[in-house]
Amino acid sequence: MVAFRNTDTSGRTTGLLLRCILYSLLALGLIIVDKRYDHLGKIRRFLSIVAYPVQVAVESPFEGWNWFRESVSSRETLRADKAKLEAELRMAQFRLQRYEALEAESQRLRALRDSTTGVSSRFIIGDIMDVDLDAFRERVLVDKGARDGVFVGQAVLDAGGVFGQVARVEQLTSEVILVSDPAHAIPVQINRNGLRTIAVGTGDSSRLKLPYLPTSADVIAGDLLVTSGLGGGFPAGYPVGTVAEVKRDPAQSLADVDVRPAAALDRSRELMFVWLKPSAVLPSEPLTHAASAATGAAPATAAKTTAAQRPSAPADSAMPAKIAPAQPGGANDE
Amino acid sequence: MMRDTRIRRLPMALSALVALALAVLPLPSALDVLRPDFLVLVVFYWSIESPRAGGLALAFFAGLALDVIKGVVLGQHALALTLMAAWATHLRLRLRVFSVLSQSLTIFAFLTGYQFILFWVDGATGNPVTSFGRWLAPVIGALIWPLLAGALGRLHER
Repeated sequence: MVAFRNTDTSGRTTGLLLRCILYSLLALGLIIVDKRYDHLGKIRRFLSIVAYPVQVAVESPFEGWNWFRESVSSRETLRADKAKLEAELRMAQFRLQRYEALEAESQRLRALRDSTTGVSSRFIIGDIMDVDLDAFRERVLVDKGARDGVFVGQAVLDAGGVFGQVARVEQLTSEVILVSDPAHAIPVQINRNGLRTIAVGTGDSSRLKLPYLPTSADVIAGDLLVTSGLGGGFPAGYPVGTVAEVKRDPAQSLADVDVRPAAALDRSRELMFVWLKPSAVLPSEPLTHAASAATGAAPATAAKTTAAQRPSAPADSAMPAKIAPAQPGGANDE
Repeated sequence: MMRDTRIRRLPMALSALVALALAVLPLPSALDVLRPDFLVLVVFYWSIESPRAGGLALAFFAGLALDVIKGVVLGQHALALTLMAAWATHLRLRLRVFSVLSQSLTIFAFLTGYQFILFWVDGATGNPVTSFGRWLAPVIGALIWPLLAGALGRLHER
């Protein structure tokens, strides 16, 4: 028998129904106001400051354990780590030598073409907090918020590539929606031939898909996908993933393309928040025009073109404001 | 009576805080799906045990805390938890004399109702989570109910 100690069994709790209706109406009101009008930002922000200690308290033992593990790691491990990092740094420097020349060239060519897609100008690094949000959504909490100038729609990268974008900003923290969230879509381009399309999350952090490519599209396993910079939310040219598998069913008009994300979505701890150069992002009208003129790729891309012109549309029509990288780059948190 | 209520509020607040922390405790993603709704169970316990001390206000604010901490639309968990806690309060006299098995089954019904309201609000606000995994939480919750209620009962006794 489960222990209930209260001997106060005196009949009815007065006005239970009334209070139930009252609180339910209050909750319903909150839902409607929060969904329909964006007036609850301040309340939410205040409440999240109250919730912050809980999150920090939950996180601290893990932080402590990490700190402990680092401080007792042996000399040997540290030496091995150092050697590895030095090797990586050398590689990175080799690549960087070429990068500067390439960037200058790219700027020159862009100037010739008179189209400048987003160029990133400023970064800050944020740490993923060790707290779980909803188990069924691909989101993480990061320890940078409105105080650091983070804004909704901001692009977030990790060491491997595009990680996601900011979905919600609190005072001290922000919530990042991963590229693999089923409600997330990102305009991409195949690096090999410039074919533009949209990569949509699947809810599985090791897989994205390209649902809007026709069966005849020129895409093969191993193709690198980079951000196209269309829509203005993400800087152009960052890796999103590589094509893992292309399934073509002749009976279907669209191909079934699986993509392995470039970012370590389930392993990264440090994320990079990116600010685009405000002047570098053109208003969307000339941008799509210039871009669709620029890549005269495959002829069989009618669906693709319409999709690319409205990068936010196919994601989830019910909440486009959150997903669409519609924020012009320089826009700051309001 | 007044003094009684005040004594009961400390374990109530304490258990709710711990349950809230358990709700965001990082788990490997395989286990994350199996995480029971601790806070919901705690609220049910107090709704049955001493509805006058916390009652629906506890349910409402616990739900609000879940909304904030999980970053979903404000009011979603508050609505679900309020309705189910009211139901639990309504049935509390009967629940107390139930056997452990019948109690767990009733709790299972509450948790399923709770999950259903969440599901409905998710759909209505345009973020449907159709994964089947979310319906596991009521099962797990009903399974751990005897343990949790026993532990809370002991805490209460002190």
